Amino acid sequence: MSLLEVKDLYSGYGKVEVLFGVSFKIEPGKSLGIVGPNGVGKSTLLKTIVGEISPKSGSISLNGIDVLGKGPEDIVRLGLCLVPEGRQIFGGLSVTENLQLGLTGRKDKSTSKKALDKVKEIFPVLTSHAKHQAGMLSGGQQQQLAIARALIADPKILLLDEPSLGLSPTVIKDVFDQLKSIISNGTSVVIVEQRAHLVTSFADETLIMRNGKIQARITPEDAKDELKLKHAYFGSDN
Amino acid sequence: MVQAILDAISLGGTYALAALGLGLVFGVMRLVNFAHAELITISAYILVVTNDLPLIVSFIIAAVVTALLAVAMELLIYRRLRGTGPAIMLIASFGLSVLLQRVYELIFGALPKSAAIAPWMSGEVKVAGASVTISSIATVVITVVILLIAGYLIERTSLGLQLRAAAIDFKTARLLGVRSNRLIAAAFAISGVLAAIVGFIVVVENPQVSPMYGVNITILALVGIVIGGIASLRGSALGGFMVGVILSLLNTFLGNARVYAYSWLFLLVLIILLVRPGGIMSKANEMERV
Repeated sequence: MSLLEVKDLYSGYGKVEVLFGVSFKIEPGKSLGIVGPNGVGKSTLLKTIVGEISPKSGSISLNGIDVLGKGPEDIVRLGLCLVPEGRQIFGGLSVTENLQLGLTGRKDKSTSKKALDKVKEIFPVLTSHAKHQAGMLSGGQQQQLAIARALIADPKILLLDEPSLGLSPTVIKDVFDQLKSIISNGTSVVIVEQRAHLVTSFADETLIMRNGKIQARITPEDAKDELKLKHAYFGSDN
Repeated sequence: MVQAILDAISLGGTYALAALGLGLVFGVMRLVNFAHAELITISAYILVVTNDLPLIVSFIIAAVVTALLAVAMELLIYRRLRGTGPAIMLIASFGLSVLLQRVYELIFGALPKSAAIAPWMSGEVKVAGASVTISSIATVVITVVILLIAGYLIERTSLGLQLRAAAIDFKTARLLGVRSNRLIAAAFAISGVLAAIVGFIVVVENPQVSPMYGVNITILALVGIVIGGIASLRGSALGGFMVGVILSLLNTFLGNARVYAYSWLFLLVLIILLVRPGGIMSKANEMERV
């Protein structure tokens, strides 16, 4: 049984259809990339998985449990957390308060303190800024806070929407290094990115989306072939 | 002078409580709940009709009924309209407000109902050599205590943290596990209790309760949350307090020109909004609804 299995998913906004029969699965402790140009439906796919949008048809199961029709607050309790695009940290609240909010979706509240200590260990910068307003942090620090806040809920699978957005190359490297350590601890990670090269070399498998469909599945080995990657990303006409 | 200052603080505190109740609901639903006025009214009616009972019992009944009515509003009306758009929610709250006024008219009659609530409060005591009414001292004490309790609840508890986060960005709060239905129901319940307290404070001063009793205070509290910062709970309370203090001082010091008190108040409001369009405590207010 896969950790997350999406089958033949059709979704969109009202009458506007965005996803057309998307299917994929991810196993525990693995990483999956989802890349594609702007507007192909990557964020819609994530929003549908986390319960922000109701799909037209298809199925989504998490650890064998059907999550269709469940709200984001229920899905997070089943072990799936999203780090949304643009981080969406609560800028007016302190770093500690942002982290405490992450505990809301945690099933086992008795180990909350341990969880807080653990993420502070992974992201030491958050300890030194604990009392600062989150909005005062740099872009990279805010991204770390957003990931830490999601990790506190003890997810089995972490979804990240454009984690590199607005970050410098050095900071992106730091963030991806931290993601590696999260995966090595057993948490599966799904990364949605526009910048294909960041993900293809990182993830165990990368799905390439175009026009609301998965057009290709590539491994890090495949990604070394620039031409193959280019064709998969832009289509064979380019 | 002492009486004027106490009156200003007590009216400011009363409006702060009303504005906080409105701000809590706005924070989680982006709904300006005009029917908050009818929550204040029902509390006042219950205090009047249960006047024979000990004051504390009478108040507990008023608070429970008002909180239940607030939660019923959410469960029966607003929850079903979630996602329909801000304009529809706003019109629904107007409609509910008018409907409840007519229901009160049917139950309690169109003419004001009155009773002497806590008559001992109309007595006077000497403070710093000046005579002041017990009711104004009691109001200041009650509002300070309630604001401290509300402040503790909002600033120090998990529920308060969730309410503050939801006021900033409800969508992200839900992604973190904040249960929307429970949180919204809790916000309505707290808002109802605050409305009941406001109802108690105003009915002691003015025991002539009619179906539109809570409308004036609610409109002024709405002005307060706009100038304080509509998406900030602290801003809502501060804005409400400012409106009450300014109005009270204008009424005291304008003498015969007090008929212009509202004109001066709204001129000040306009100036504040021109300088700080998002309100005193706001930053970039997100107006997206749940």
